[in-house]
Amino acid sequence: MHSGTEAAVLEAHWGGGAAPFGATWQKTMMWIFIVTDALLFSGLLCGYAFLRQASPLPWPRQSDVFSIPFIAVMTFILITSSMTMGTAVTAARLGDRKKALNFLIFTIVGGLFFLGCQAYEWTELIHHGARLASNPWGAPQFGQAFFVLTGFHGSHVFSGLVILTITAIRSAMGRTPAQGVELAGLYWHFVDLVWVFIFTLFYLL
Amino acid sequence: MSDSASPYRVYWVTWVILLVITVAMLAAESLHMPRWFLVVFLLAFMMVKAVMIGGNFMHLRYERRNLSLMVASGILVTSLILYGFITRESRHVLDLTAR
Repeated sequence: MHSGTEAAVLEAHWGGGAAPFGATWQKTMMWIFIVTDALLFSGLLCGYAFLRQASPLPWPRQSDVFSIPFIAVMTFILITSSMTMGTAVTAARLGDRKKALNFLIFTIVGGLFFLGCQAYEWTELIHHGARLASNPWGAPQFGQAFFVLTGFHGSHVFSGLVILTITAIRSAMGRTPAQGVELAGLYWHFVDLVWVFIFTLFYLL
Repeated sequence: MSDSASPYRVYWVTWVILLVITVAMLAAESLHMPRWFLVVFLLAFMMVKAVMIGGNFMHLRYERRNLSLMVASGILVTSLILYGFITRESRHVLDLTAR
């Protein structure tokens, strides 16, 4: 039995108790993981800002290096896959397994398209002479920033696809509860969220 | 989500808004506007997109406030501290290379 004060503290949002965030431990752990992973990208983006500001040579103009419409298509694909993922999560919550599975598959297809576009973009840039330590357009750190930022993001897309594929297979077998789809969805949306920052800070600014 | 007719509506609406914002950002980048304005415009819309993805797609809107605050403030505050400390050194390095 708790005293009145203790009970009030435990009931308060900041008071701890069995579920201080009002979420299951799996979801809480996923959020903690997302925060730490976001800080990894935050560090990488700060490193990119450092390289750009510390470069004595001019930073290449993005429109000279990339096809911005192509990058826009990649962004469109990722945003669309996030929408289909959200639909899959809600369908799973509502117990509509067929719809959840269909939209999981749409999301996987979107992710595959995005990775394909990224592979094409890397191939093109390498073909034109971009390397980790040099490139034909300007500051040599540009290649480093590009390959590290998009490489880390691409590896997250890839691991997201593995998670989604496992979730889809288990979902088809009826072995994934709605929360499993929701956790996979959180990770996928996070990948989309990171792209919003990379797209703006690296490709547009 | 209970305030909408279809439980899926929020995703479609968010998707359309995100696409419109993305197109607006691309248009702004292609127009030759003052650099300071472009930076403010793009950063503001980047944050709007982040809030929409976090709130609507990741359901932070529907979570307890302490979870949303932990996530948002944890990422934002630490990022700003990182940015402040790391990029402050870039000027120093630039001065060293200029010597």
